[in-house]
Amino acid sequence: MSRALRSPKILTGLIIVAFFVLLAAFGPLLVRTDPSAVSNDALRPPSVAHWFGTTQNGQDILAQVVDGARNSMIVGFVAGALSTVLSVLVGVTAGYLGRVWDESLSVLSNVFLVIPTLPLTVIVAAYLPHSGQFGLIIVIALTGWAWGARVLRAQTLSLRKRDFVEAARASGQGSLRIIASEILPNQTAIIAAAFLGNVVSAILTEAGLAFLGLTDLTQWSWGGILYWAQNGNVLLSGAWWWFVPAGLCIALLGAGLSLVNFGIDEFVNPRLRAVGANSRRGPRKPRMRPARWDVSTESIADNQAPDVLLEMKNVSIDYETDDGAVHAVDDVSLTLHRGEVLGIAGESGSGKSTLAYAITRLLKAPAHATGGQIVYTSKAGKAVDVLALNGEELRAFRWDTLSIVFQSAMNALNPVLRIGTQIGDVLTAHRKNLTATQRAARVKELLRLVGIPEDRATAYPHELSGGMRQRVMIAIALALDPEVIVLDEPTTALDTVIQREIVSQLSALRERLGFSVVFITHDLSLLVEMSDTIAVMYAGRVVETGPAEQFYRNPRHPYSKALLQCFPTLSGPRRQLAGIPGSPPDLRELPTGCPFQPRCAHAFEGCDDQRPVLVPLVPQQVACRLYPAGDDSQVSAPSVPEPV
Amino acid sequence: MTATINRSPVLAATGLTKHFTVRGRGASRHAVVHAVDDVSIALFAGEVTALVGESGSGKSTVARLLAQLMPATSGVISLRGTPITVRRGKRFRAYVRSVQLMLQDPFGSFNPVHTVGATLRRVLRMHGRSANEISGMIDRLLTEVNLTPPAQYASRYPHELSGGQRQRISIARALAVNPDVLLADEPVSMLDVSIRLGVLNLLAELASERELALLYITHDIASARYFATNTVVMYAGRMVEGGPSETVTQEPAHPYTQLLVASAPDPGRPLAPVPPSGLGSPPSLINPPAGCRFHPRCPLAMPKCATEVPPKFTLAGTSGPGTDGHWAACWLHEKSES
Repeated sequence: MSRALRSPKILTGLIIVAFFVLLAAFGPLLVRTDPSAVSNDALRPPSVAHWFGTTQNGQDILAQVVDGARNSMIVGFVAGALSTVLSVLVGVTAGYLGRVWDESLSVLSNVFLVIPTLPLTVIVAAYLPHSGQFGLIIVIALTGWAWGARVLRAQTLSLRKRDFVEAARASGQGSLRIIASEILPNQTAIIAAAFLGNVVSAILTEAGLAFLGLTDLTQWSWGGILYWAQNGNVLLSGAWWWFVPAGLCIALLGAGLSLVNFGIDEFVNPRLRAVGANSRRGPRKPRMRPARWDVSTESIADNQAPDVLLEMKNVSIDYETDDGAVHAVDDVSLTLHRGEVLGIAGESGSGKSTLAYAITRLLKAPAHATGGQIVYTSKAGKAVDVLALNGEELRAFRWDTLSIVFQSAMNALNPVLRIGTQIGDVLTAHRKNLTATQRAARVKELLRLVGIPEDRATAYPHELSGGMRQRVMIAIALALDPEVIVLDEPTTALDTVIQREIVSQLSALRERLGFSVVFITHDLSLLVEMSDTIAVMYAGRVVETGPAEQFYRNPRHPYSKALLQCFPTLSGPRRQLAGIPGSPPDLRELPTGCPFQPRCAHAFEGCDDQRPVLVPLVPQQVACRLYPAGDDSQVSAPSVPEPV
Repeated sequence: MTATINRSPVLAATGLTKHFTVRGRGASRHAVVHAVDDVSIALFAGEVTALVGESGSGKSTVARLLAQLMPATSGVISLRGTPITVRRGKRFRAYVRSVQLMLQDPFGSFNPVHTVGATLRRVLRMHGRSANEISGMIDRLLTEVNLTPPAQYASRYPHELSGGQRQRISIARALAVNPDVLLADEPVSMLDVSIRLGVLNLLAELASERELALLYITHDIASARYFATNTVVMYAGRMVEGGPSETVTQEPAHPYTQLLVASAPDPGRPLAPVPPSGLGSPPSLINPPAGCRFHPRCPLAMPKCATEVPPKFTLAGTSGPGTDGHWAACWLHEKSES
């Protein structure tokens, strides 16, 4: 709750609402004037005697506003509560029970939604003009529940399918108990929002009805004040003080309630909160990147082998959070050679996907690169820092030179466009000189390349299987003959057989077309098969890198060794499988020293002092204190455990 | 491996079939999805049985049928030898006390607004435990799934736990009613690689300690080799092969099982230069192929395969024909039986 109060919206809203609640409760004790008492001070502007002025009959307007606050708010809150109860009853019943219940209740709420509310209210209210507040409340509640019921029904439908509800059903709980303890607690935010929305609309409806003279006008309310003001021709006489206070009260209370409502929304929806936090800080200034363009051809030619295609140098990426920066990628240096597959392995939180986003310059706030370079060297030997490309250069670089395939093809493809069109779109954007016929021919060629029959070009994404959709993504990635393709968990969502098929096809395509690949996955056993060079990441850093085959035969870092043993194998005798104790680390609370040390079977004194850096251990590079670097080692190397 | 002779299964299903009718318009109006057809499976106390299949093979439907969360179209489920069908109410709760289902998603299967302790307490109370024995039981359960000290975990909310810890709580919740059968639907597929083995080992230990009959449903045939005594492979709603896990994975007899084994990533074996044959996708279950459902993809298909559903053929075991219960539903093995 204290966090809710830190939201300026909620706080402001609550102060406004509290003010009106106090006004309604205690106002009449402070303002002792009888709101209906007639005097000779007719139509006086605000003065010391009458703070808000007087009416035509000399009644004190302040007293009327204060007395009216009570009526308006009772009607608003009670009617709001009643219609919320109706919304919950109808929405949750329809959503949870489904079938006939859902159909009939949905029809009912849809009918209420399409009937224009105000005329309906007017008609119903016309039949009970003298039943006082009670009748009014019933009318407003009856006409205001439908919207909330629809929202709650949709929410219940989605909650009903969630696993924890299924689990509760599986454990034999009854429907009522499941609704009470599993469904409703997850809807508190929506119910609260519906309630506040209903209160606002009830107050407005009450004011509207009173203004039309359809309520009991012997009782003061804000709408009633407006009614009498209108009857007194205030607009002609220019007595603004008669209607402005009541109008302002309605607007202010409505604004207060809405502010609380928005605040609740933001509070329960972390996505909105993050956006809010960023916008508060203002637009991020473009970071100064002096001299990045000086990565000149000469220096490349001097320092590096000519076959280097992409070189990450000390890349660091932070996520800005409320509790400070989280280092998702920390000082990573890796090299992709021409025609090679660089495999990056890691578990959740290792930073592998963040690194992929950095290579493709797709990082979104709150993530941003804090240092390092990603140098791309073209075939002609020209080098540029990918992290420093501006908009136009980036558009040319991305997809022309480097493309990406994501894990979820379903989310990456547009569901309403044919796949042929989507492949063609890439060509339209980047190859403006192609004619329509050439484009169509290229689309067919690409489909053939990835093993999709040409006539499927007119299919929509939902008509294809998961494997086919991922092939479409690969075809889009290949469309412009890029030099590098970044594959971010391209087969993780697919079945084993289809994964095998796509992986074999990718290898064949690579041999034929000669592109290089950055392959990112948690599946180390697949990566060993696929890659030339492997890098294992843990907690944002590379802990071991080296040629795939040597890495597989003789992994040096205890984490690499343990991770390799986490994959049950089908070939060879059954070996001992261990798993790794503990969980991948939380980047917000990294252990001191080596982040793997709490889970490491070989940890010794000193592992928790200092984070080890990569040292060469030919042919690999390993960041582990078991292998101290020649110069700065104070720790005597204990016997290196045999690979199991 | 304990001898399977002369033992009766705790939970057994014979001829289990589930057809879903699709609500739609036009041509697909009366379409029927043949999700599960003629599945027979037996679970024994203290033993892990793996049910392996790809998405759409019907393996999760089998779990839900065995848990009686949905009625079977046909087939018999027997608990300790007695056929039983339950829908709701007291009898359903009694059944649930014996047969527990554990779900795949450790993130979705807990209500975010309840603490771990509250979740477990409700299950225990619902199954008639008195208030004063409950807190002791919660402590014991959490200790049993290696979440110690238990008090520290009981007071936490699901989002404060890692995926592996949540899956351990799932296990504790399933064990709370002291069931005889645990149906685990992909219990580790959503966890990080490094913590999968820990959870699987825990399940295997609990199965043998508590004499629990465990059904391990997975798409990962390699893990079945390591954790299950017996393995059954499903394809497109039907069982295609079954037997001791080591035999099924090392000498797969059905062409589909062979394809599955050949497709699994395994750096330990030389990479096949040509991709394994039989690639392609599983068929639609609305109009599944007649005969063997794998025949359109099968490199060894014969004319008979397209017309007649192959029955289970017993295969030569390690110590004489039929001794180890290895079978395959494939016409290729018709002769080896006779």
